[in-house]
Amino acid sequence: MSAIIISAIWGVVMMFGGVFLKKSSSPKYWAIAGIIILLIANVMEFFGWQFFNIDTHGMVRFDNFTLVFNTVAFACTLLYFLLNGRDIEKVGNGNNISEYFALIFFVLCGVAISSSFKTLLMLFLGIEIMSIPLYILTGSDKRNLKSNEASLKYFLMGAFSTGIMLMGIAFIYGGNNLASFYIDNLQLGNGTLPVMVGAGLVMLVVSMSFKVSAAPFHFWTPDVYDGAPTVFTSFMATIVKVAGFIAFIRLFQSSFGVIQSQWQGLIVIITAATLLIGNLTAVFQQSVKRMLAYSSIAQAGFMMLALFALNDTAKEGLILYAAAYSLASIGLFAILARMQDYTIEGFNGLGQRQPVLAITATVFLLSLTGIPLTAGFTAKFYMLLAAVKNGHQLWLVIFAVLCAAISAYYYFKIIQAIYFKEPTENINHQIDVNRRFEWLLIIVAGLIVLLGVLPGLLVDWLYY
Amino acid sequence: MNITQILFWFLSVLAIVGAAGVVGSKNPVYSVLWLIVVFFAISGHYILMNAQFLAIVNIIVYAGAIMVLFLFVIMLMNLNADAEPAKNMNLKMAGTIAGMCLMLVFVAALSRSDEMNRVSQMNGGDIGLIGYLGKVLFNDYVIPFEISSVLFLSAMVGAVVIGKKE
Repeated sequence: MSAIIISAIWGVVMMFGGVFLKKSSSPKYWAIAGIIILLIANVMEFFGWQFFNIDTHGMVRFDNFTLVFNTVAFACTLLYFLLNGRDIEKVGNGNNISEYFALIFFVLCGVAISSSFKTLLMLFLGIEIMSIPLYILTGSDKRNLKSNEASLKYFLMGAFSTGIMLMGIAFIYGGNNLASFYIDNLQLGNGTLPVMVGAGLVMLVVSMSFKVSAAPFHFWTPDVYDGAPTVFTSFMATIVKVAGFIAFIRLFQSSFGVIQSQWQGLIVIITAATLLIGNLTAVFQQSVKRMLAYSSIAQAGFMMLALFALNDTAKEGLILYAAAYSLASIGLFAILARMQDYTIEGFNGLGQRQPVLAITATVFLLSLTGIPLTAGFTAKFYMLLAAVKNGHQLWLVIFAVLCAAISAYYYFKIIQAIYFKEPTENINHQIDVNRRFEWLLIIVAGLIVLLGVLPGLLVDWLYY
Repeated sequence: MNITQILFWFLSVLAIVGAAGVVGSKNPVYSVLWLIVVFFAISGHYILMNAQFLAIVNIIVYAGAIMVLFLFVIMLMNLNADAEPAKNMNLKMAGTIAGMCLMLVFVAALSRSDEMNRVSQMNGGDIGLIGYLGKVLFNDYVIPFEISSVLFLSAMVGAVVIGKKE
């Protein structure tokens, strides 16, 4: 509960910071202080120290899974602030810095709600509190037409998907005998699916797939991720997307878990389509930013395997995947945000010019591919293990491995550009880095390797 | 057929005709006016179910505030029939067929559900009265009620950020 309250309060604090903080660099430090407080409060709640004792009528419940995920999300946001603080200050000529941080804190409030909800009402609020600030952050580069277009597109499509979700919730509310919003209480125990609840389930699958950009509801993703300022793409492609998955699996495990056989086929189709489309389209991209957008669709396909499997291994895998994918993508986007040229040629010869950036970028790319000794490997391994343990549709596992092999092609293309190509003449290769930035990247890369060698460091907390 | 049933059928026909008018009119201002008819018809349904608070709020917020906003936006954008770009006929057909398919599936599925045999309680029950609603909202649903303020606050901050002059 403290995560929800503190993030909302700190959002308001940052909002007033726009009035009272005159120096343009101070909002960043306030935001970093806030995220550290949030992280500490969350960890303390994990060990049983509650700051706020509120009767929520069972609307939200902070169990181990929620608290471990929130800790991962807040820690990733802390690293994100430390790495990207300076780039956030530059967005939109540095006018509304503290408002951007306020919006990010509101998103974190939404993240905490969507990972802890116990009723459909809170699910809706959590998803919306995550989405609405993102529409604005997408359009925050007001002078850039691509950013405006992305924001409008995201807003319109997001509004439709919200409408579909509300319709689905209404069907489920009207269809279950108790007329209850509580997701544990749908009483589908006898294995049959009432027609109205079935219609609601399909609509929830559609709208949640939209939020996590699973095919065939992924069409907004490349345009929005490409159009948004790179720093905010980094935030919404990692922490917010993963929180969407946590909400997805939480909803489907507690409410529809007992009748999984009836909707598993739907998830299999979505998973296979997401893996195939994401990986195949990423191969043809020239811009690294757009390629990362497609690769985020491909990674979403792997996270969908957790929804397919729906067992304890899947939950462990999802936490691990959340950490691995967020860390690697945040690092990669942070490097990209400092570059002048977003094409693959922009990476040419990075190995000679910036050895630290080159080696860390390589670790991030290897982790995204899923090479052993990186966190990406263990995460993918847990996901596949969960799918095998589930026992149905084993071809999906083989298919996922094949798609991971395709992904190696486009990730290694960047590694090849970094180490085996000469800098191109007519491209601006300038990168603006300092010592602190390099050390932070080394820490992120170190965390990835650490989780790759000892995944238990994170996963074991689920059974604390 | 008693008065409740007559009113029910009248309001239902009105709502459907209004909705068809929203989609069918060429002029966007007429669409908005038809939408107001739909909202009034739905408010009538709420009153039939003894949900007076919802009915009033529906009229104040939707038929009042939001419709005025709609009209403003349409007039500011200065839409008229010639300015509208010609739409692809194939695209229109594809949209119609896809929409009809969805409707067919839903009607076919929902017409078999048990809920079709249930009758909604007309003209009774205190669930929609303001006093009852207030008690439920501030006792059982106080957490979502308070948290929705974060949603509105973030939307307001966003509107200021987007609208602020640089």
